[in-house]
Amino acid sequence: MNKIRFSINGQQFDADQGATIMQVALENHIYIPHLCYNADLVPGGVCRLCMVEVNNEKIVLACRTLAENEMIVKTNTPEIDAAIRPVVELIIADHHFTCRECPANGKCELQKIMAHLHIDRRRIDNLRPPKNKLPLETLTPFLYYDPNKCVRCGICVQTCEKIYGASHIYFVNRGYETKIACFESAAHCDFCMECVKKCPVGVLIPKTE
Amino acid sequence: MITADFRAKAEKEWQKITNPSIPQIFIGMATCGEAAGALSIYKSIESTLMKNHIEARIHKTGCLGMCYCEPMVDIIKPGQPRITYRNLEPETAAELITDYLVNNNYRTDLALGAWGEAIDGIPNLFEIDFLKYQERTALKNIGVINPEDISQYIARGGYKGFEKALCTQQDEIIDEVEKSGLRGLGGAGFPTGFKWKECRKTESYPKYLICNADEGDPGAYMDRSLLESDPHSVLEGMLIAAYAIGCSRGFIYIRDEYPLAIKRVRTAIEQMGQYELLGENILDSGFNFDIEIREGAGAFVCGEESALLASIEGNRGMPRHRPPYPAESGLWGKPTDINNVKTLANIPAIITNGAEWFADRGTGSSKGTAIFALTGKVANRGLIEVPMGITLRKIIFDIGGGIPNGKEFKAVQTGGPSGGCLPAELLELPIAFDSLAVAGSIMGSGGMVVLDEDTCMVDVARFFLDFAKQESCGQCIPCRLGTKQMFDILDDITKGKGRQTDIDMLLELSESVAHTSLCGLGRTAPNPVLTTLRYFQNEYEAHINHKRCHANVCRLLVEEGNIDE
Repeated sequence: MNKIRFSINGQQFDADQGATIMQVALENHIYIPHLCYNADLVPGGVCRLCMVEVNNEKIVLACRTLAENEMIVKTNTPEIDAAIRPVVELIIADHHFTCRECPANGKCELQKIMAHLHIDRRRIDNLRPPKNKLPLETLTPFLYYDPNKCVRCGICVQTCEKIYGASHIYFVNRGYETKIACFESAAHCDFCMECVKKCPVGVLIPKTE
Repeated sequence: MITADFRAKAEKEWQKITNPSIPQIFIGMATCGEAAGALSIYKSIESTLMKNHIEARIHKTGCLGMCYCEPMVDIIKPGQPRITYRNLEPETAAELITDYLVNNNYRTDLALGAWGEAIDGIPNLFEIDFLKYQERTALKNIGVINPEDISQYIARGGYKGFEKALCTQQDEIIDEVEKSGLRGLGGAGFPTGFKWKECRKTESYPKYLICNADEGDPGAYMDRSLLESDPHSVLEGMLIAAYAIGCSRGFIYIRDEYPLAIKRVRTAIEQMGQYELLGENILDSGFNFDIEIREGAGAFVCGEESALLASIEGNRGMPRHRPPYPAESGLWGKPTDINNVKTLANIPAIITNGAEWFADRGTGSSKGTAIFALTGKVANRGLIEVPMGITLRKIIFDIGGGIPNGKEFKAVQTGGPSGGCLPAELLELPIAFDSLAVAGSIMGSGGMVVLDEDTCMVDVARFFLDFAKQESCGQCIPCRLGTKQMFDILDDITKGKGRQTDIDMLLELSESVAHTSLCGLGRTAPNPVLTTLRYFQNEYEAHINHKRCHANVCRLLVEEGNIDE
């Protein structure tokens, strides 16, 4: 396989041709904020957080852009910050925080992003939180779904569909009301737990009994 | 070719209608006419004719685009010009039939205009303000012909463009469209010829052609009127595009909320089949093409071309990442050309009359005409086709007749939820793709809503964000949460709960949502907020700081404001 050489934040990296910026960055311990990216899946490109600047001109998604030879990638310009910081703040304002009881506490991708961007909680107070807390929903015979925490990244949907070929769950409704729901086939969910493991924020909660 | 015989026959039939031996009555029966009561007018006229033993022929036409005059009826009496009557009711329609057809009284009081010279106190229809400044090319047949009769379309020069195209090299057709400067009239304004060229270049088969008739902007109904009143102009445009690009299968994606448009397009497609204008070896040219109707299920976002593709494929209507563009990989991964209804309706005339004829009108980078649905607080509401470069003032005050009830003009909203509100200072702005973009709005698909002094601009922004919030596909986070958050903030402001930080917050969110969203819906959703903040920031400040709504629209604000104090 052909090798390429390019830079991220001034540091030079060698990579295989065909690798995305995100893949190379994560392999080399350079963090780029992301919620819908999972190494095992096709990049959804829907969380819009992994914006990086390429060759001092374009802003692109790191998860969907192939690294090219001599490319200059920057992950932390003021423009990128201005674009994605409000998006992260939107997610936090909408996210129901009960971190201490959350199964994802400590390995939550959103916590990681907040720490990475040094999110100022006072700015979030300027936003309007959701008016109602929604009840937990039964997704499959084995799983609860917490719509208050879900970021609608689609990782669980893709996991069920692409990895297990099952497609028990999918998006329903539109706009702000969009959420994950199950098809009738979910009765046949064999509880492989892959969607639970891959969920970035701990939305899928296995039923204990 | 459509046989000379058939064209001659159609023309002769048309002669019999325009220069008849018995009275010809035309009733405007598009959705707008029917909503205004055209069905009861039809019944009333039918029974009056029977009662008085008058032999006459009734034609159902589409709409002439003059919504403020509906229901409308045209009458051609032998030896007389076609006369258009306005705002009829079943009783006045019955009187009109007896008075005019039996007693030779023109009923000047009910008349709007005569087609041609003014007669007996009835002005020339095309000299009245609403029509005088218009240049109808794509709309030339609306309200004139029966949309369910292909021979009337053919008699008025229909399918001549397609016949000419069949005798032309495909690349030459595309060159002609490119030279004409025609840009997509669905909203984005992408050069049509370039799109065709890209799709033709892609070496993958089959290729598909899609007509996007999923019109959804609030207050916009250009595509509906065009499909209901003259479906063949759009279908002929599709034939030419398909031939030029090399598409073998076409779809027309119409929203399900337009049942009459769907019915008329279906009828039109059947008639095309009868005259060998669809199917295999069309008019013995060796060109094969078929058109299918696909009905949209009510999602606004499916008007976004990549979401539309997903919808036709049977998937959830969610936009896709671009590139690849549909011209390279569209429907089922095949090269696909997607054009709006109005864009396609312009094609036959461009091919018939040539690129120079089309490019003669308009401005530097916006050629030809623009079609708008002029609505809101304006005296003459309706569908208009005007040359690009015309000023907003001319549209609103000359064609539209100004603001009714002696009110002041406040703003005009163009481009629907993706567009913006332009204030009185910009009334001299020439309408063109670029000038509107500079002003913060967009040309959009053609919605033009006039707002008067009784409109609260914060409330307008709130309305459009409410729309965007509900119609976002929910896929990407900035659009899904950003439109909701902006709506919540605007909603609070209109209820007297605005905060000092809100204006900055709205600006920041707008920038972020516009830059990070996946598709055009999210990227343009902040425009109503940005333009109202740019031109009417004082209203936001009055709401937030003084709990006052200048237009007295936000009533809750006043009450709650008083309680707070």
